[in-house]
Amino acid sequence: MKAATKTGKKKNSLTPMTFSLLHATDFADRLLYNIVPPLKAGMIVLADRYAYTAFARDAARGVDRRWVRELYSFAVKPDLAVYFRVPIEVSTDRLMARRVKLKFYEAGLDMGWSSNAIESFRIFQGKVLDEYDRLVEEFGLSVVNAVGSITEQQRTFRRLVSQHLAIEETNEQLDEQLA
Amino acid sequence: MNSLTNNSPDAESLIRPGCYYGNGIPYLPIDGYPGKLIAIEGTDGVGRSTQIRLLREWLEVQGYGVIETGWTRSELMQPTIELAKASNTLNKLTFVLLYATDFADRLEKEIIPALKAGFIVLSDRYIFTAMARAGVRGVDRTWMRNLYGFGIAPHLVFYLKIDEKALIRRVLQSRGMDFWESGMDMKLGDDIYESFRAYQRSLLREYNSMADEFGFRVLDAKRKVEVIQDELRRQIGAFLADSDASSQPASASVT
Repeated sequence: MKAATKTGKKKNSLTPMTFSLLHATDFADRLLYNIVPPLKAGMIVLADRYAYTAFARDAARGVDRRWVRELYSFAVKPDLAVYFRVPIEVSTDRLMARRVKLKFYEAGLDMGWSSNAIESFRIFQGKVLDEYDRLVEEFGLSVVNAVGSITEQQRTFRRLVSQHLAIEETNEQLDEQLA
Repeated sequence: MNSLTNNSPDAESLIRPGCYYGNGIPYLPIDGYPGKLIAIEGTDGVGRSTQIRLLREWLEVQGYGVIETGWTRSELMQPTIELAKASNTLNKLTFVLLYATDFADRLEKEIIPALKAGFIVLSDRYIFTAMARAGVRGVDRTWMRNLYGFGIAPHLVFYLKIDEKALIRRVLQSRGMDFWESGMDMKLGDDIYESFRAYQRSLLREYNSMADEFGFRVLDAKRKVEVIQDELRRQIGAFLADSDASSQPASASVT
């Protein structure tokens, strides 16, 4: 599985459809081995990105929205889905601050919108963020303003999670941990 | 556990040859492409590749450009699928998705460009093989049809039909049974012969159930190679004559 994704990415030969399908294959594998068993065992699974990432990314690449949603209909519906939202400028700035070279697909260079990686990323990411805004409505994602400080974000995040788990969470505890 | 999205079946949609089954690939409109897509379906051992080779010669002699395509021939996926098969690590969902990726790669890089350039595409098996294999393994039918909604409906689908008994003899005579074609992943039993029989029987059932839905032209694969080939040529010839006639400009000059 990883081999094909790697080969395809290395050769920059993936189309939006094969990109989408390869990631769905990888997702199916992780779902069945890493997500469903712990859920059955009553554990909490924290997924760093989920099918929504595919919905946003693939639609931004011009894949049919409804088709991608139907493709992922085998996925488990999360009890809570949180979207950390930042405006496009912040997203671009943070990326540049990382000082690592943008990867071909990450920058959306496969789409041919711009041969400049940063400019391409800006265009691509703009479309991705637009798609996420649709998803917030459609799937009822909880939004965390990710422009604020980590402490603030974590506070909001924990409040959201607590509501679902009925955990007693105090801010003092958090402040201590983040200090 | 609830599923993420509902896959409600599409309203019964009409299949139009040469068009996408579903919404298709939005960034690749294919309307009005002059090529023709012809699929030859059937289980193992029905003589598909022989028939396709003969068809190709016949079409080329008449001046048609022809390309062939078949499962796991995509540059992208072939090594991965071989590897995954060899290690028996695929579960049914990843199996289905890997095949769909292979199909998408060939569709975009071989089939669509050929149709655009006016070629005849001979497909050695098509999405129906994937659907039959998935169906036997209990994958949701509606989901499978949605998944292949980006596929192009062939202009003609020939189904080389054979019964279980004849099929088993042919496979045993030619190259024996292998793990996947015997459905051993389905753990129907330890006896490979019994497993093969049960698997092939359910595959045949799946193909038969698709015949009406997808407009298969059913041919009896027990007949002689030449007889089948003649029948294929007759039907394809008639189809091509019809479409050539309707695409000729009315004002073709006569001197």
